[in-house]
Amino acid sequence: MRRLYVLLGVALLALAAPAAALAEDFKPEDEFKLDTWVSLHVGPIDMSINKAVAYLWLGTAVTILIGIVLMRVRIRVKPGNRQTIGETLYEVAQVNIAEQGLPTKAMGLWFPYVASLFLFIWVLNLLGFLPLPISNDKFDLFGLHIPTFGIYAATASLSVALAMSAMTFVFSHVEGIRFNGVGHYLKSLIPDVPKAMLPFIALIEIISIFMRLISLSVRLFANMLAGHMLILVMIGLIFVIHSPPWRFFGLPAAILFYLFEVVIVVTIQAFIFAALSAIYIGSAIEPDH
Amino acid sequence: MGTMLTLLAATAPAIKQGQAIAFGLGVGLGAVGAGVGIGLIFASMIQSVARQPELRGELQGIMWLGFALTEAVVFYGLLGGLLAFVLVK
Repeated sequence: MRRLYVLLGVALLALAAPAAALAEDFKPEDEFKLDTWVSLHVGPIDMSINKAVAYLWLGTAVTILIGIVLMRVRIRVKPGNRQTIGETLYEVAQVNIAEQGLPTKAMGLWFPYVASLFLFIWVLNLLGFLPLPISNDKFDLFGLHIPTFGIYAATASLSVALAMSAMTFVFSHVEGIRFNGVGHYLKSLIPDVPKAMLPFIALIEIISIFMRLISLSVRLFANMLAGHMLILVMIGLIFVIHSPPWRFFGLPAAILFYLFEVVIVVTIQAFIFAALSAIYIGSAIEPDH
Repeated sequence: MGTMLTLLAATAPAIKQGQAIAFGLGVGLGAVGAGVGIGLIFASMIQSVARQPELRGELQGIMWLGFALTEAVVFYGLLGGLLAFVLVK
């Protein structure tokens, strides 16, 4: 019975999601358009506030709240609910993420970064699947102008994912140089090969270093974008197909994709991003060769 | 200039069809590779757990890591297809 309620709830959420789409022309890609709300220009840098920024702020607030509620608990021998959840989260962050890559000597320094990266991305991804009244369009309800409910994740914007992977990229090289010295670190980047092969291999290694930056950001961004797009397109079939029984054909598929995304993809992407960050930073601190 | 415009108008539908083909091929071929790869990961996971069930916990972390790394390959294709839509107007 409880499962039925959950399913019904998800179905209602899915119906509420594209409220903007009740207009004649439904374009799922409009959900990812970032219109400027407050224009802010600092020199040549465009720091305008838009939907992604609003989602980031909300995500930050929720992450801080989770941290305070779950971690600032008086620790007891017989743990309460909050302590149990907090300890589980901490253990996942420590055993499954940080210890995958970070060497013991860097654990105290970089565990907080990796763990907060995991929690932050997880919260951002989850917020992306709640229909929230943060969007560009507005609708009238008893004379009130309320933004339409839409699903959008801040991580489905390349800028957000790229900023976070750029942080990992910079930190890993800075730490590599700090722990090993410039010469040692640069030498460790290029493997031992015959002299004739050296320029060729060096080129490949340099490209692969920058590919890390691209693959880390694109993995997160494209996963979230594709997930949202699939759900929106499946719901959008209601407006594309006109014969009555068939137009709701996409709805079960949309619900299935929604469950798949919320249950599996959201957590895995946050986990993978944090774990790879730990591995990159760890391998820079302790190079193999 | 005039002939250019008429030429452009004539090729516009062709560009659109080309974009559709690029998108379909990008995602489709990406999905082929990722499908094989994900299948291999889970197949070897099943084999390993069948041989040594006590290692399940340790293997699971590695499995999900490999899963996410492989799955991302589809999205590179998807991104290539999307670029065909965004860059070519």
